[in-house]
Amino acid sequence: MKKRIFAALMAALMVVGVVGCGKKDNAKDGKTSLTMWCIATESDSNRKSYEKSIQDFKDNHPDIDFSWEAIENQAYKTKIKAAVSANEMPDIFFTWSCAFLGDFVSAGRVYCVDDVYKQYADELPEVMMGNVKYDGKYYGVPMTMNIVGMFCNMEILKEVGYTAVPATYDELIECCDKLVAAGKIPFGCSGKETWCVTEYLESIIEKTAGATALNKIFAGTESWNNADVSKAVGIFQEMIEKGYFDPSGIALTNDEVKANFMDGKYAFYMNGTWNCADFDKAGLSDKIVVAEFPVIDASKSQLGELIGGPSDTLAVAQDSKNAKLAAESAFELAKGICHYGYLDGCGLPAWTPDYDTSSVNPLTQSVAEICANASQYVLFGDTAMTAESATIYLEYVSKIYSSEISGADFVSGLVEKIK
Amino acid sequence: MKKLYSNKLTICLFLLPAILLFVGVLVAPIVMSLYYSFFDWDGISSTKTFVGFNNYKEMFTDDTINMGLALKNTCILALLSVVIQLPLSLFLALLLAKGRKGERGFLSVYFMPVLISTVVIGQLWMKIYNPDYGILNVALRSLGLEKWTRIWLGDKKTALWAAFVPTLWQYVGYHMLLLYAGVKSVPPEYREAAMIDGAREGQINRYIIIPYIKPILKISVIFAVTGSFKSFDLIYVLTNGGPAGATQVPSTRMIELLFTRNRYGMGSAIATVLIVMCFVAALLIGFFFREKED
Repeated sequence: MKKRIFAALMAALMVVGVVGCGKKDNAKDGKTSLTMWCIATESDSNRKSYEKSIQDFKDNHPDIDFSWEAIENQAYKTKIKAAVSANEMPDIFFTWSCAFLGDFVSAGRVYCVDDVYKQYADELPEVMMGNVKYDGKYYGVPMTMNIVGMFCNMEILKEVGYTAVPATYDELIECCDKLVAAGKIPFGCSGKETWCVTEYLESIIEKTAGATALNKIFAGTESWNNADVSKAVGIFQEMIEKGYFDPSGIALTNDEVKANFMDGKYAFYMNGTWNCADFDKAGLSDKIVVAEFPVIDASKSQLGELIGGPSDTLAVAQDSKNAKLAAESAFELAKGICHYGYLDGCGLPAWTPDYDTSSVNPLTQSVAEICANASQYVLFGDTAMTAESATIYLEYVSKIYSSEISGADFVSGLVEKIK
Repeated sequence: MKKLYSNKLTICLFLLPAILLFVGVLVAPIVMSLYYSFFDWDGISSTKTFVGFNNYKEMFTDDTINMGLALKNTCILALLSVVIQLPLSLFLALLLAKGRKGERGFLSVYFMPVLISTVVIGQLWMKIYNPDYGILNVALRSLGLEKWTRIWLGDKKTALWAAFVPTLWQYVGYHMLLLYAGVKSVPPEYREAAMIDGAREGQINRYIIIPYIKPILKISVIFAVTGSFKSFDLIYVLTNGGPAGATQVPSTRMIELLFTRNRYGMGSAIATVLIVMCFVAALLIGFFFREKED
């Protein structure tokens, strides 16, 4: 008898265990549960803006049991794709716009936010929603926008006789020659993280071939077989050959290169304007100036053509049990993250600011000025293109940075490989 | 009890948990990988296109996948493991098993890298290889060997070897411990008898100890070779397959295809190739050792 009771208990325990492995109940203490995944880890410059926005959200919605998890950028890409594949996504998730989100939308895994967007259309301009629009419908909520900026260490430039950032391409080259002659390294760029190389290469292509041409190439409506692209790649490689780039950069991570720039090892550092917050916090606002990469071919490009745009986005899982509520929450959270992120200098707001912005750090204000004069944006190539095309593109960019192939090989390779 | 074992239903019931675990954890994923490898699928959408063996053909013909180079790299690593890592481990095992002073301390020291997280080891070696302040270049400069300094992980000529050194170093202690246990299990009478017969230390090792521990050596070789075929973490941390794909191994390429390029079918095909490689290697090594034993 005792054995039977023991067996029955064990069986009951097993059943409880199996039931426990099922999906967790969405309601807890009468509250509605919402979960969110993002990339705002402790070291992410946006961390504080997420924390503040989430705290505001929790204070305003005591009826929602909100939990969130931050995963490191590169690991997140793997995790979110695996979750989408298994249809086990959180209610709200961070994503990059355009092609990255597009794959999830095509698979029918993302909730359309058209209805909720109508409530926020006055605060979130439609122009900012372009990168989350698929087949005429909106599937995400942009937060901040960033561009590629050319950060210049004015203390180093002064040493070679410059009191202002070189305004033209010829002046920039002359400045780089002087820096090299003085034993200084003009540029630092991480080769280990190929997206950092694209920040340089795409700026050079844009200022040689023009933003319109580059946009069409990234969209796939025009071929990579473009003489200006070849020329631009040649210019980039010539800069490498002339010793304008730190040769060690090829083996360094972006964090290491950025630290080197902040330590005064390089005169210039081209990267996303989300770095403004870190430079400001490090007390470098008085010696660093942010500028736009100069025009190389004035017949095809002009100042105001920028690389970047709104990419950081929150989206909602189609199969969320509370999709409508999650969508409303995503808008509210995105607005808060945009607000605090802008004040912290982590990028420009995708949402129209309705608050005092005088405390924004001077570097971010300079970026805002550059953007105010922008005529056209080209979204980062690895975000604009599909996953397969972007990876092939990055592999060719990596070969360019290690001087393994020429500009012509770059073009012919991409023409052949990117479908 | 005899009656109990004669009941086939009882036997099946006893075996069921183990079979379920074996099938669920090992067989099912392999079968699923094989199944997906015949499809062109992004891993996200519900539509899959059957492509037969196209993924297997493409991995060797498409230079953006360049499986040939990845296989070559992993075979070099396997060869180095057998030629450098295992002899070194055997040498240390033979040395320590003699009962030298501080034997346990040395064992712990050599085994320590196995206990440290691979990511930590990767970060450690990244600092060693740092072109500016890394101890390797600093040491070369201070010895007047400036021309020997390199961007170890950024130069295509050195990146592969630089990435392999920590991979080999990390598991020397692991193999040493396996072989050490084997050497310790040799009955001391054998050694004593050989010594009475006038055998020198080298001869005792060659003709008595090494033949005695051959089954453990076989296991070590299988672990070293299959471990090399599956190597991923240190390469990923140190070079992430770069510069320009020079240090790609099948596992790094597989992860790239699965999760970066959204080519689940192709990634599964590489996984299948890896599984087959590991099985074939284990069988061949087993066969090689059996021949020798016979």
